Amino acid sequence: MSIRVEFYGIPRHRAGVAETTVEVTTATMALQDVVRQLSARFPVLARDCFDHDALRDGYAANVNGERFVSDATTPLPDGSCLLILSADAGG
Amino acid sequence: MPTESPDHQPSGPTSNASRTNRSPAAASDVPGGYHGAYLSISLDGRSVTRVASRLVPLESAVLRQFLGGSGLGTWLMLEHNAAACDPLAPESAIAFVFSPLVGSPLTTSAKFAVVSKSPLTNRINDSLASSGFAIAGKRTGCDALVITGKAASPSILVIDNGDVRLESAEAFRGATCGDTQRMLTDHFSADWQFAVIGPAGERLVRYATISHDGRHAGRGGSGAVLGSKNIKAIAVRGAKLCHWAAPDELVRLAKTISKKSMGPATEKYRELGTATNLLLFNRLHALPTRNFQQGQFAGAGELSPESLSLARKKTRAYCAACTIGCEHLYALSDNDSNDGVRLEYENLFALGPLCGIDDPDVVLTASRRCDELGIDTISAGGTIAFAMECVERGKLDEPWLRFGDGSALLKAIELIGASEGFGCQLAEGSKRLAETIGGETIQFAAQVKGLELPGYEPRSLQTMALGLAVGTRGADHNRSGAYEADFSELADRHNLVPAAARLAIDTEDKAALIDSLILCKFLRGIFTDIYDETAEMLNLVTGWDATANELQQVARRIITAKKWFNIQAGWTPSEDTLPDRFLSQPLPDDRAARLAADQLVLAIRAYNDQRDWSPDGWVDRTQLEALGLARFA
Repeated sequence: MSIRVEFYGIPRHRAGVAETTVEVTTATMALQDVVRQLSARFPVLARDCFDHDALRDGYAANVNGERFVSDATTPLPDGSCLLILSADAGG
Repeated sequence: MPTESPDHQPSGPTSNASRTNRSPAAASDVPGGYHGAYLSISLDGRSVTRVASRLVPLESAVLRQFLGGSGLGTWLMLEHNAAACDPLAPESAIAFVFSPLVGSPLTTSAKFAVVSKSPLTNRINDSLASSGFAIAGKRTGCDALVITGKAASPSILVIDNGDVRLESAEAFRGATCGDTQRMLTDHFSADWQFAVIGPAGERLVRYATISHDGRHAGRGGSGAVLGSKNIKAIAVRGAKLCHWAAPDELVRLAKTISKKSMGPATEKYRELGTATNLLLFNRLHALPTRNFQQGQFAGAGELSPESLSLARKKTRAYCAACTIGCEHLYALSDNDSNDGVRLEYENLFALGPLCGIDDPDVVLTASRRCDELGIDTISAGGTIAFAMECVERGKLDEPWLRFGDGSALLKAIELIGASEGFGCQLAEGSKRLAETIGGETIQFAAQVKGLELPGYEPRSLQTMALGLAVGTRGADHNRSGAYEADFSELADRHNLVPAAARLAIDTEDKAALIDSLILCKFLRGIFTDIYDETAEMLNLVTGWDATANELQQVARRIITAKKWFNIQAGWTPSEDTLPDRFLSQPLPDDRAARLAADQLVLAIRAYNDQRDWSPDGWVDRTQLEALGLARFA
């Protein structure tokens, strides 16, 4: 299965890219699986934005532009889009 | 480190140029961080130099109930019965309000609130700005300046350690905010600080700002109120310091908070600035585009700070006493100097996507001109975008004013600043312009209570929709941070339910507290329990034993006091809503972004219920008594 990941704000700066794709051969994928793969690929992102397999305080994840999720075990449907962003939205 | 000022008592000599009657409060009654009095300044229009002024004691109980900033300013407006006045009439009052934390070592505490009745909304208006004016203003020896009356001619109001006089502003007439500030610095000296208006304030543009050192008390037209009093600028200088109850502990706490303020909670503001919202909002169809006709803008990428940073020079700036440094200034493409333009999300959205503009140089130039003329960027962009849609629909015969036309945007801004031609109508704001044009245009004038919406599409961010509808200042993102819930698991941003009222109230209450303490909202992310942690800093300054619960009650009191002001000014429940556009049609480019009028009504009722107001939002005497506001009933 495949998940497209888009980065916004600080996560984009730390990843150095605007988006990427995460793929696994397993039947299911959870938020923590995506974070784990991203950590291996983007160590600076992992250092500043992740805490093991979860997001640090101050960062948020959104599925398909609809649902915000924080539980690391949240399952992600195949083909979904995960947005990783700085949590504070204010201006 | 200041502890006790030798001139702490609000008393002193009377100069030839002023008739200052000082009514000192007993020092033992004055909490730390306060002078215990406000300076009442009455412009009688008879003398071009002399001013009647007096220090009016502030009871400790009032200070503890309203703190400072927005809260104390609201109390002062109720005291002066400002709700009953035409905000541009001489008898109206305008207050510059400091706070117990101003001048302390606490980061981001150098702030002041400007509070008056708004000439744009005819409701309460409190706008905040930062930096040296707050510190110098408080050192004049008062907790607030309250100005009534009107000077005989354009004047500089000079407050030197509490002595008040007028000087002619003839040489400054028509000068931009920046030029005025520079000329005043040359005319006075480096130990003075200034709050100024630009040409827009002089010409009573209803959304004119008050500027200090490139920052603006921006929303609601306080610049026009000052202009109506013939005051081009206020110059302050002082050396009167307040004592702090526990200075050593305060310094220790300040160091801890400063360290936290440089951590991950403020990283976004430090590294990218608020404009980085643009791409995310665009992705979520929350970026108001072409007068809220769309939630995504094709040119967002070009305008994003990520793109701007690659193509042009960028510098950062800090307010006085701030460790965050959120200000990001971008150079125009033909400018290699360090003279950049401050770019925030709100001026970027309002002068870019909202008007269909995708040229970064146009947006930066428009933003700079608004700052120079002293115009609120959100209301300017909102009013111009509304007029552009009217032209597009054939409702307005100004064919030059088209979405996407950068030269038209810049021309419109110049006309507003000069109040010339069609600029006179634009200077009135979108609500009055819609009333002039007539027909159904009011349905797509994106305003609440006359205040133009900030950059949050309410159909895509529906907890925020509630916050915008009920805001006492009108459609506002600084008094309601309800969008925070929409960017979390706490709310379904596409489905407003009555339970969201609690979320909206939480952010409103926190904003009321922060705006009264005063601290910067960008600090909010560092607190685990904002009420508990701010109670600690307040107690170290004042010597009080305030608790988190007490500060929650203070916040609720301030919100209800603002609502009471509005009721006195003629508020009715029909004002607490959104324009028809948002309630009658889904967002065209995101059909899931649909907000029904019934949903909003139910959420507003839940909001009013949880505020202990009537279902329609009226405040009764019992509620006023419960919050210690009975004297205003």
